[in-house]
Amino acid sequence: MAENTIIRFEDVSKRYDEMEVLKSVSFDIERGKFYTLLGPSGCGKTTILNLIAGFTDATNGDILIDGKKVNDVPPNKRKVNTVFQDYALFPHMNVFENIAFGLRIKKMNQKTIEQKVSEALRMMRLEGYANRDISEMSGGQRQRVAIARALVNEPDVLLLDEPLSALDLKLRTEMQYELRELQQRLGITFIFVTHDQEEALAMSDEIFVMKEGEIVQSGTPVDIYDEPINRYVADFIGESNIVEGTMVEDYRVAFGGKVFECVDGGMRPNERVEVVVRPEDLILTSPGRGNLVVKIDTQLFRGVHYEIIGYDEEGNEWMVHSTRRAIVGEQVGLSFEPQDIHVMRFDETEEEFDARIETYTEEGERV
Amino acid sequence: MMEKRSFKWANLYLVFVFLLLYAPIAYLIYYSFNAGGTMNSFTGFTWEHYQAVFEDTRLIRIALDTLKLALSSALAATIIGTFGAIGIYYVKKRRTRNTLLSFNNILLVSPDVIIGASLLILFTMVGFQLGFTSVFLAHIAFSIPIVVLMVLPRLQEMNDSMVTAARDLGANSFQVLSRIILPSITPGILAGYFMAFTYSLDDFAVTFFVTGGGFSTLSVEIYSRARQGVSLEINALSTILFLFALGLVVGYYFIQQGLEKNKRKRTAVKDPTNHEKAVSPR
Repeated sequence: MAENTIIRFEDVSKRYDEMEVLKSVSFDIERGKFYTLLGPSGCGKTTILNLIAGFTDATNGDILIDGKKVNDVPPNKRKVNTVFQDYALFPHMNVFENIAFGLRIKKMNQKTIEQKVSEALRMMRLEGYANRDISEMSGGQRQRVAIARALVNEPDVLLLDEPLSALDLKLRTEMQYELRELQQRLGITFIFVTHDQEEALAMSDEIFVMKEGEIVQSGTPVDIYDEPINRYVADFIGESNIVEGTMVEDYRVAFGGKVFECVDGGMRPNERVEVVVRPEDLILTSPGRGNLVVKIDTQLFRGVHYEIIGYDEEGNEWMVHSTRRAIVGEQVGLSFEPQDIHVMRFDETEEEFDARIETYTEEGERV
Repeated sequence: MMEKRSFKWANLYLVFVFLLLYAPIAYLIYYSFNAGGTMNSFTGFTWEHYQAVFEDTRLIRIALDTLKLALSSALAATIIGTFGAIGIYYVKKRRTRNTLLSFNNILLVSPDVIIGASLLILFTMVGFQLGFTSVFLAHIAFSIPIVVLMVLPRLQEMNDSMVTAARDLGANSFQVLSRIILPSITPGILAGYFMAFTYSLDDFAVTFFVTGGGFSTLSVEIYSRARQGVSLEINALSTILFLFALGLVVGYYFIQQGLEKNKRKRTAVKDPTNHEKAVSPR
């Protein structure tokens, strides 16, 4: 086991009666990084969190924290703390007592407790709120109290179960910065559960994309965004144009009635593939200069950009994000670069995907 | 115009109903001050019946016994009932939980006479001496379902993830119970105790069955004295009891008000040292 590994799952599965919510999942979590479990509701991401915290038992497999098997260790004996989705603050205690709860359980003396709690209050910018009742705090403030209450125990790992989902958009964005900054300052491992891809991309060192009890792809935000393993990931993370095509040979792919140069390889010649081009990588140009010609169908103003939908001659739908207006009904060219094209094979597992990339990518080109 | 009229009728109806309900009690209280000695006609004002009550050492002893019984049986029932409610709440299977709750509710609605008779049969079968202890046990028995019924809604209102959070923060089962669950359901426990206390205080039927050995409660005593011929001493005693009950209700009201006010006050206080007072010394 790598020295830096703090949590390891070895073929962990979990079933409730007939429902298999986690299918033999294995992964390592490294010390001091920000991890995100990303997926739609019911994909098993919260189950992983509960397994780490000890709120549920694994049906099969081993869970190791700091190299020790913890399958039978109760939650109160694990050096892991959780920030709950509904915060789960104690309404019969004030802010100070909420944060001090874990320290009092550990029977620390009053002076140490006061010192640690006021430090936590300062860290979460809650000075002056120590004697407030929980009912008096706003949603964002409760959120901070919940984080302070968990962090004051100095856990090895902080688990966050969709903690931002109850906040409004502006506050949510603010908290994203704050959480990221907090994690880097403290150097504690954060495991963040969310179904919001923007949150995941903005904060994480590493993202686990999950689907139906399995980890579909794991990697850095850039890896996952630029090189999604399949349609599911490409669709889930950001907007994307996914069209069917044929891999003519390495670095040459056909779609939309033409053959394009690309940076992918390692497939069988003439294999059916799916091609992803992100809407922001498409540039509107004149029909003569574009790689593809589309007829503009609809246009929506999104504030930051126009969302333009067009169809090529094969009937593929293309979404373009452009700061320039297009005219509905007009023929326009779409230009893009070879590195904007990402080719995906059907039914490729993460291991096969990684192995294929190894074989055709030059040393050091892909980290 | 029409609306106003019908509104007045509603008020009148309300006044009528309350008059009807309180008239017998008022009548009884009125004659407790009658110098005439009977309830046939009011001949003059006197305190002598009250004097007689306070000079009647047997009656005073019974009154104190009744109070002692109510306080202690309510306490025991509250402890047992609270844990019972927690037990029922944490039964995982919905069917089992509902069955347990139904058993609890059946005891609440079944007639006192049946409970009293069955307890009498039980006590005599096992050869239990009838007296304070048998009455005490009987009162606990019929008070438990009330406590369960008062505490259970509080548990259901409680946010379950609080318990998970407390476990997460290192609390063991006992600490979860004492620091999270019990404080959250305290209003229910207090209400349960109060209800159990009043039920025990005014119970007649069950006590009548299982008492013996010279032990008696006020209800039973009043009943047996009333059978021997109504003396105005009983009116005086009943008046005192009525005022006591009234005092309880008023007291309960003010305690509740005080709790709420206290809560509001605590939130308003910004004294930085205040938290030390809130800390429970454990």
